[in-house]
Amino acid sequence: MIKERPVAAPREAAIIAVAFAGLWFAPLVLGEYWLQLGFRTLIYLALAEGWNLMAGSAGLVSLGTSCFVGVGAYVAYGFLNGFSLPLPVALIASAVAGAAVAAVVSPALFRLRGLYFTVGTLALAELLRLLMINVSAFGGASGIFLKSDPPPLPILFHYALVVALIAALALTLCVRTRASVIFRSVRDDEDAAAQMGVRSYRVKLAAFSLASALAAMAGAVQAVKLGAIEPYGMFGLQWSIDVLTMVIIGGMGMRLGPLVGALFVIALGETLADYPEAHIAIAGVILIVLIRVAPRGIAGLASSLRIAASKRAPA
Amino acid sequence: MPDPGVALSTIASGVLLGGMLALAALGLSIVLGVMRLVNLAHGDFLLVGAYAGLFFFEVTGVDPLIGLPVIGLLIAALAIPLYRFLLQPLAERGAEAQMMTMFAVAIILENAFVLAFSADTRSIAVSYAALPLTLGVVTIPLVYVIGFAISVVAILIVHWLVSRTAFGRDLRAAAVDPEAAATIGVDVKRVRMLTFALGAACAGVGGTLIGTAFQFTPASGGAYLLNSLAIVVLGGLGNVIGTLFGGLALGALQSLGGLALGDGYRDLVGMALFLIVLAFRPEGFARGQA
Repeated sequence: MIKERPVAAPREAAIIAVAFAGLWFAPLVLGEYWLQLGFRTLIYLALAEGWNLMAGSAGLVSLGTSCFVGVGAYVAYGFLNGFSLPLPVALIASAVAGAAVAAVVSPALFRLRGLYFTVGTLALAELLRLLMINVSAFGGASGIFLKSDPPPLPILFHYALVVALIAALALTLCVRTRASVIFRSVRDDEDAAAQMGVRSYRVKLAAFSLASALAAMAGAVQAVKLGAIEPYGMFGLQWSIDVLTMVIIGGMGMRLGPLVGALFVIALGETLADYPEAHIAIAGVILIVLIRVAPRGIAGLASSLRIAASKRAPA
Repeated sequence: MPDPGVALSTIASGVLLGGMLALAALGLSIVLGVMRLVNLAHGDFLLVGAYAGLFFFEVTGVDPLIGLPVIGLLIAALAIPLYRFLLQPLAERGAEAQMMTMFAVAIILENAFVLAFSADTRSIAVSYAALPLTLGVVTIPLVYVIGFAISVVAILIVHWLVSRTAFGRDLRAAAVDPEAAATIGVDVKRVRMLTFALGAACAGVGGTLIGTAFQFTPASGGAYLLNSLAIVVLGGLGNVIGTLFGGLALGALQSLGGLALGDGYRDLVGMALFLIVLAFRPEGFARGQA
């Protein structure tokens, strides 16, 4: 097993804070195209950080990301359209709703271990998508419009930045403190962890709820940017596919995995923007190769190369 | 409530469709039982069968139902290198790596279908596709009855393979306890490879049957995967005949759901059933022998 060089939580939090503070001024220098790309990367970074916590630290491989992206989007629209609340309040409501949905479905999903959990989340996402398509109260298949105008792109970029910052800091809290030991004990052997007094159900629920709240917030920001939402897009399986692909390619369980994966997959998508099917198929091929030769993804590969280099250097 | 004749016809059609899907679900079930693998590309294997049936028909002009054994063998032959080069090297790494790999295969196949055959909606237009069969008040498409009959025969063949042959004995041994099976001389790798091929063949043949009865697109795989999983759960894992009844039950319940709530709710009923059974009876899914 490859180990990352340990980094103390305060130091990592400081690095993240400085990096995000720098990015805050990006709209001053970046043009429309790069800002759009940055927005997309930040949204996916928030999703991927949450997914990595679930899969990499708590052993919960989910194909249900789309379900929480969609819940966040629809709840945000409900609060914005129905009560004309300010956007930050709507985002908090989305996060709460995402965590609440996770808590409601967890008794059923957590009875399923390993592969069965994955399949259960896939079925849940499909169930919610079909429900939203068919129930006319939520706009049905044609969806709903945002009554107010969406904020301009630089403001949206800042919202995405804040959501990604929350995700990054939450992850630092989870994987750089004593909590990480508890998460890993549940991932590696749930029954043994329970024997040692770890309440595995609560640990899994914490990871699942946090990831779901992050996904819901990311979905809400994305939805506000779109100005109109419909279930095929917001509850689309593509969200789940993209996030899983990013984290596996970047490095599941690696601190930098989500960032590396999000940057890689989005760069690949931009390179092959004229061939969308080829882009996804190529991502699939890369996925297969990396699972085989580098189970810890690009970040894992880089980390083991660095360790090898540092071992050679003193000699 | 609609006219009883229409209602009965809808339910009968649903049951027949469920019977057709049961064959594909059986493929998923035996792979799950023997390899402990949820093959996330199973729905796309089914589509390979549907496209194979379509092109077999378009090129040769021969009824694809006559070509079924060829299509089944072809897809089994395609599945063997997939197992040998993608799955077998990951066997020691647990089920997750194999599942992710098949997930990647599913993504690749879906997009390859779009690239090769376009995103158009297709169906295998056999001459009798639109012929109705009327029994009293019940009217059902003839092609459903034919597809159902072929599916049942195929399921019985698989049942015979699993319960009566030497391969079936090895398969059951490998499903219950691979280490013990290996110590008494079962070539577990070979059994798993053949099981994977058999599972793919079931999906492919089922796919051709479904392609004659229904329209399909490159994106249909996910829905077929989830419906197959629902059937496996309803019928009990590792129970060949149970899978058939699981298919019939799912078909009937989906039709009832469609009649009661509207046609858009058909698939929703399947997902809801799947989650309910998983939540209340997960052992029905995780236990058992193939």
